[in-house]
Amino acid sequence: MLASSETNPNAYWLNSRGMWAGYTASVIFLFILVNCIPVISIPVVWTLTHGIHNIGNYIMFHYLKGTPYATMDQGETSWMTNWEQIDNGEQFTPTRNFLTAFSILLFILAGFFTIQDTTLTAINIAIMLVGVVPKLPLFHGFRLSQLLSQSSDKEQ
Amino acid sequence: MVTAPLVHLTNQITHTSLVIGLGTIFTASLFCGLIDRLRGVGGTMSTSDYSYITIFEGILLYASEAPTYHIILEVALVLWIIKLLFFTQKYHPNASDKPTPEEEESLIHDWEPEPLVPPLSDDNKVPESPIVTGMTGTYVTVDGKKCLNLATFNFLGLLNKKNIHEVAETTIKKYGVGSCGPRGFYGTMDVHIDLEEKLAEFTGREEAIVYSFGFAAIASAIPAYSKRGDIIFCDEGVGFAVQKGLSASRSQLKYFKHNDMEDLEKLLLDQEKKDKRNPDKAKKARKFIVAEALYMNYGDLVPLKKLVEFRKRFGVAIILEESLSFGVLGKTGKGAVEHFNLTNDDVDIVCASMSLSMATMGGFCAGKTFVIDHQRLSGVGYCFSASLPPFLATAGSEALSIMKESPAMFQELREKAKLFRQLLNDISEIRVEGFEESPLIHIYLAHSQGSRELDKNLLDQIVSDCYQEGIAIVTAKYLESQEHNLPPPSIRLAVSVEHTKEELTKGAQVLKNVFEKRCQ
Repeated sequence: MLASSETNPNAYWLNSRGMWAGYTASVIFLFILVNCIPVISIPVVWTLTHGIHNIGNYIMFHYLKGTPYATMDQGETSWMTNWEQIDNGEQFTPTRNFLTAFSILLFILAGFFTIQDTTLTAINIAIMLVGVVPKLPLFHGFRLSQLLSQSSDKEQ
Repeated sequence: MVTAPLVHLTNQITHTSLVIGLGTIFTASLFCGLIDRLRGVGGTMSTSDYSYITIFEGILLYASEAPTYHIILEVALVLWIIKLLFFTQKYHPNASDKPTPEEEESLIHDWEPEPLVPPLSDDNKVPESPIVTGMTGTYVTVDGKKCLNLATFNFLGLLNKKNIHEVAETTIKKYGVGSCGPRGFYGTMDVHIDLEEKLAEFTGREEAIVYSFGFAAIASAIPAYSKRGDIIFCDEGVGFAVQKGLSASRSQLKYFKHNDMEDLEKLLLDQEKKDKRNPDKAKKARKFIVAEALYMNYGDLVPLKKLVEFRKRFGVAIILEESLSFGVLGKTGKGAVEHFNLTNDDVDIVCASMSLSMATMGGFCAGKTFVIDHQRLSGVGYCFSASLPPFLATAGSEALSIMKESPAMFQELREKAKLFRQLLNDISEIRVEGFEESPLIHIYLAHSQGSRELDKNLLDQIVSDCYQEGIAIVTAKYLESQEHNLPPPSIRLAVSVEHTKEELTKGAQVLKNVFEKRCQ
């Protein structure tokens, strides 16, 4: 933990077991909703559930930066993604492990139901990478946009 | 207790509506074939037969039909989950590695305590400082000898004005010496508000704020506006107070070469390019240019016109430190903005110390009302420091009235500074640099002795020789380990409006003799 006088609520609101239960419940709800679409087959249902979850997860945790709360850190968190703010940046905490394991589990389920369709399997693997790779400690503080702008500098 | 049944009722209603809502969705999904799919009997239009079987049959099928690479991938992922849940240790990516107990032991073992006061080496002896007795004015008594004072920043000669002393005395009799608290905590007196009004009126700006120490004015004003994530373009040659303000702001600092406008333009264009690439970030970051009007460390003038041009072109705010130019430059002594015939709107924030021209203590910052008002809660030197002693505030007010009544003295001061500079130019052993009308003059050795230490020693000898000859001067002193850009060693001379032509000629003559004697 980093010492700070004013806590950033973004760091700990996901830590409660109620939030975990709510997260699981909302994914199950999403699964039911997708199932309500009449024409699509079961492999597509799983791919859709997996895809919507991971892309939403990417946007919420790895794309949006900053915090809706007024913090006393002189704007340090305004350049940090929500994922980086969890537990003030500490790695392998229960919340981080839960969210990573959740994404993997979802892929295993989706992969199980799409095994006969090579295209869907490939799509699911790609979706899994989108959800899981940014969560690795290796990518803490990594910015894809920065990397791209640097490489475009070199071209010039 | 009355509300408890009501809360219970509300909870009941929420619960019931949730159950009904979820139940409806569940029923809807029934209609849509969800249950059919799970039971493996329904299914509508699908491409593969796989969607017609039950989950149980699926698992069997899966185990027999899944390709090997997929099984390997999934086993690896399952192992990863197990590792995540049971075999990982928390760590912080930004924390430094802690030493092991063995390493700690050996570090403690190796440590040899240094003496609290190390013995002084010969070249590091504290120089014997001359002792000044009595009042400081145009003449000053150094070690019992009356010397012409060319060291004190008493530009307008207000230090020994009788009516300022009288006003200060009356105030002490009325208020006592201290103000006993910060401005926001019982430390505000009518004299502070009066001084602020007078300063605002004198500078022609909407509002002014008074700090109790000149150093704190600029060092608080910069971090009051510029925070982490903001960008400051700063001259390399700024004085120590500005440097402390810059580091307290925690902003991104971009130094340009001293008075080099091309370098600044390059930095600004660079930033503009970066902003275009990342407009979201650019929207959040504020940008400032920080400069001194007359540089304390060099005595030269800032090209303010060019800065104002950049301000309009790139949308950068200007923070200008006017300590030396306030009461010196401009027709009515308002400072660099008046000198360059600019309007007050061209420079956003102006800070100055009151201990130079105004001959009192403290500092002030002037600007638009919303700019100054922000500092009353964000200027740390204002909020957390006891306010200016009331007698110094009235002395400042009185100094301002004198400056207002006799605007001719600014012109006179600049002419004397010009004259003294010309006299100094005759000395071949020294190099005189800086703005020609600046009353603060740095003189450097024309030919270095080889190292900074040798130069400093020579200048110190010259200074002590001058005391013998009846001239009081000082070398410029710096906290060498902390300066961002250490200026070369110099003697720092200050011209006052009270110096007569004869005194200045005599001063220059003595300097010439001493330099000729020492630099053979």
